[in-house]
Amino acid sequence: MSSWPTETKYISHSTARIDAPAKLTGKARYASDIQAEGWLYGMILRSKWPAAKILSVNLDKARQLPGIKAAVVAREGEFNVRYYGEEIAAVAGTSKQACLDALRAIDVKAEVRHEFVVNETDARKSDSPQVWDGTPNAPATPHVRENGSVDTAFPECAAVIEGFYTTPVQIHNPMETMGNTVSWTDEGVTAWASTQGIASVRDGLAGALQVDHSQVRVITEYMGGGFGAKFGAGAEGVLAAKLSKAAKAPVRLMLTRFDQALAVGNRPSSFQKIKMGALADGTLHAFEAENYGTAGIGGGADAGGGGGGADIPMPYLYKVPNTRVKQSAVAINAGSARAFRAPGNPPASFGMESAMDDLAVKLGLDPLEFRLKNDPNPIRQREYKMGAEKFGWKNKYQKPGSSPGIVKTGIGCAGAAWPAGGGSKSTQGEAQINPDGSIEIRLGVQDIGTGTRTVIAVVAAEILGLKPEQITVRVGDTNFPPGPGSGGSTTCPSVSPTVFDVCQNALQQLQAQSGLADARGENWFAACKKLGVNPLVVHGKWQEGLSSSRAAGVQFAEVEVDTETGLVTVKKILGVHDCGLIINKVTLESQINGGIIMGMGYALYEERVMDDLSGVVLNPNFETYKMPGIADVPDIEIILVNMPERGVIGIGEPATVPTAGAIANAVANAIGARVSSLPITPAKVLAALGKVPPPVNA
Amino acid sequence: MKAFTYATAHSTASARELVADNGAYLAGGNDLLNLLKEYLVSANILVNIKSLPGLDKIERGEKFWMIGSLVTVAQIEDDQDIKKVFPSLHAAASEVASQQIRNVATVGGNLAQHSRCWYFRQRDTVCLKKNGDLCYARNGENRYHSLFTGNTCISPVVSSLATTFAALDATAIVLRDGKETRLSMAELYHRAWENPLAHNSLENGDLILRVEIPTARTASAYLQISDKHAFDWALVSCAAAAEIENGKLKSPRVALGSISPVPHQVEAANSFLDGKVLDEATATQAADMILKDAKPLEHNAYKVPLAHALIRRTLLKLKGDA
Repeated sequence: MSSWPTETKYISHSTARIDAPAKLTGKARYASDIQAEGWLYGMILRSKWPAAKILSVNLDKARQLPGIKAAVVAREGEFNVRYYGEEIAAVAGTSKQACLDALRAIDVKAEVRHEFVVNETDARKSDSPQVWDGTPNAPATPHVRENGSVDTAFPECAAVIEGFYTTPVQIHNPMETMGNTVSWTDEGVTAWASTQGIASVRDGLAGALQVDHSQVRVITEYMGGGFGAKFGAGAEGVLAAKLSKAAKAPVRLMLTRFDQALAVGNRPSSFQKIKMGALADGTLHAFEAENYGTAGIGGGADAGGGGGGADIPMPYLYKVPNTRVKQSAVAINAGSARAFRAPGNPPASFGMESAMDDLAVKLGLDPLEFRLKNDPNPIRQREYKMGAEKFGWKNKYQKPGSSPGIVKTGIGCAGAAWPAGGGSKSTQGEAQINPDGSIEIRLGVQDIGTGTRTVIAVVAAEILGLKPEQITVRVGDTNFPPGPGSGGSTTCPSVSPTVFDVCQNALQQLQAQSGLADARGENWFAACKKLGVNPLVVHGKWQEGLSSSRAAGVQFAEVEVDTETGLVTVKKILGVHDCGLIINKVTLESQINGGIIMGMGYALYEERVMDDLSGVVLNPNFETYKMPGIADVPDIEIILVNMPERGVIGIGEPATVPTAGAIANAVANAIGARVSSLPITPAKVLAALGKVPPPVNA
Repeated sequence: MKAFTYATAHSTASARELVADNGAYLAGGNDLLNLLKEYLVSANILVNIKSLPGLDKIERGEKFWMIGSLVTVAQIEDDQDIKKVFPSLHAAASEVASQQIRNVATVGGNLAQHSRCWYFRQRDTVCLKKNGDLCYARNGENRYHSLFTGNTCISPVVSSLATTFAALDATAIVLRDGKETRLSMAELYHRAWENPLAHNSLENGDLILRVEIPTARTASAYLQISDKHAFDWALVSCAAAAEIENGKLKSPRVALGSISPVPHQVEAANSFLDGKVLDEATATQAADMILKDAKPLEHNAYKVPLAHALIRRTLLKLKGDA
């Protein structure tokens, strides 16, 4: 079996992104920068009703407007829309304004349904309007998983807590919105996509447009983040293709933030009723939970990476011998869910880790000791100990609410797991080695901003004895050998072993052809020169034994809470993470920073707000859909646990899992009361402290 | 947005003439352009007023300062004299939006900005403020809404400069029907108190020329709390200003933002504070008076304790600065 070199020059060290100059100078072309010859703007008309039967869509007036080159319907004939923002039609034109005018000129005849529901709790009631006619919004009986006997176990517990922990729907808002430029001609379809999966976009487009896979080429030179939302072409990709065919021109259809809030998938909400008990020695003994959440009108079709549904892993992380877990999804008139960075895990972590601290308090135990007692994972055990030392847990920990003064400090911690994060076995790649010594590595993967190009250069440089800047990396094109979709934290463990294999094969052949015993490093150019006039092209594929899965991590948080205003200020986050063999430290740390900041948003700011009466999303913008800004971001410290013996493991997802739980626990520790609902806003902190008067007209 | 024509005015008279019945003045454009893009406002002409002479000046008099309506929020934030003479104004300016927005946002635009109520801003919701027959917020998502109102609409004033100007007893000088009209901050917003359609008392064609601030209140302070630490609207804002004579407050004024359609001021509390030595108990009593008639709804009751804390802190800060 293959194995990684033990002495390394680049692997496990830091190499700056090889594409940093291109990004910094604006030379890097993102999907939204593409200007294909003769391109048009595309825009989508969305339902302004949360529920309606669309009787007819008349595009005639829109088509006649100056600058408008095409208009198409989203679906033929009569159809139902089930949420505010569902696609009805689309137009393509020579300017944004022409498209906007055209959208207003589309005549939609609809039978508006005033019966709809956008609130999860209301939707569960038996008299609720039904999202899907004839089908209850929630199943009559949730599905139940049971182990041991909770009914006999609870009376045996020394302490039992009950809590209701809730998390909101989180909206996908990558830096670059969803979208594509699509050109559909008689020769085939070319899509410049902002995607995490060039292959899945190709297959999706081919299916939707009824053309052969071989007729579709997808290109993603650069893209601005996906986080689970961007595996397929999406309704917007298919509409762009149809518009392109009708207009006989490439159509660029990038969504707006308004669109993002409605119809690109999201992280489902969770409403977790948890009862948990432990024995006198602090051993977890019984866990009972009932959870429901909404995936909107249903799990999305683009649930690549798993987890388009509303279920979450329960009980999370810890070993409990007696468990009963009931879960159900509830449909509401809202955009469907989609994979979202570590699907299911951040809400599960928030619920479970909150319950852990609440139970530790009841038992009179230090919450860290309580975790060490019950966490079965040896890596997290190690990480908790390393982190506690660095964080100064013992010195900082005070009994809940005992911090003096009006502005109170508190600390908390939480753990992360990610079941996947291994490699995709079908990954292939190729290298072209030219007689002048230049080398190009081609792989049909996409760099979603995590530094995949750099990872490829680092691995190749290491194996070939070259420098990373000598490696030309080509990715983001379905014409290259097939690579993985970038989801489930699988990219690095898919790509690294593949590049390893490509380079080993390259060395072998180069040595055979050149007659040099070792073509690496200083012999490289001499060896390449012996190729004569023809470049050497070698293939390789993913190899067993160089990667694995199941990253583990823990995070510690320190917060200040103003008990008069409710304002939470995060002072410090310490993340201790394992991801097996580290390939490139600096981009790894960057992903952990990003995960922590995203987790902070989940903890303190982000929440989709819908209006019960009108069924609309009230915060489809960054003004009121709040996300952390640099002023909110604390001192972030990262300890990396390098475990080369485990091979390469992805980090993207575990890095964001425990942040909200750790912050929530730090807040509870500071104020001596639990805010059991995310996001933890000043309003909720003041309510938890019992300071909010009852409403006047309640 | 709908099509419009565009002109640049070089005198206030021509600006007024150009804007006519259906035009809008364009300065920083932060609010106006968004309103136009969302079809919340329509104008057949945008009159660029950035070239109007003299309105971008800060005049520093002994008894009064004049802040031109084209002075940017960033100019206020960066002015070291303002930091000394009107610390509350400096603090309020530095909390406005982001640096990029402050660089172009003007004093006039900040005062004249429209409601940020998310039902008003939602493109498909026809609320009371848009001539509909219902305030959706009243029984809906009202976490950012008012504790006080004189009508059914509960959209609050969000201009932090207005809050500060109210505490400093500043006057807006508005060109109306060819004459300079003086409006206190209470007057500038009064119509929004009684009429759900109004964002302020400005009438079509009114042009804010400058704000006149008396220098008498040498102590002033401003505080706001938002969900986030920067680039976020205040959940509640509070400004206070006074003279301090022998350790006692003279002519004190307190105003709050984001809890009423107008800068919230209670004259009884101002009178109560007059002549008092500030301490925790006095500040608490004043806060009680200021919030006495608050009518919290389902999701905004937290603003009561939050406002209470801010009033006390702002008042005590006044003492510290004296």
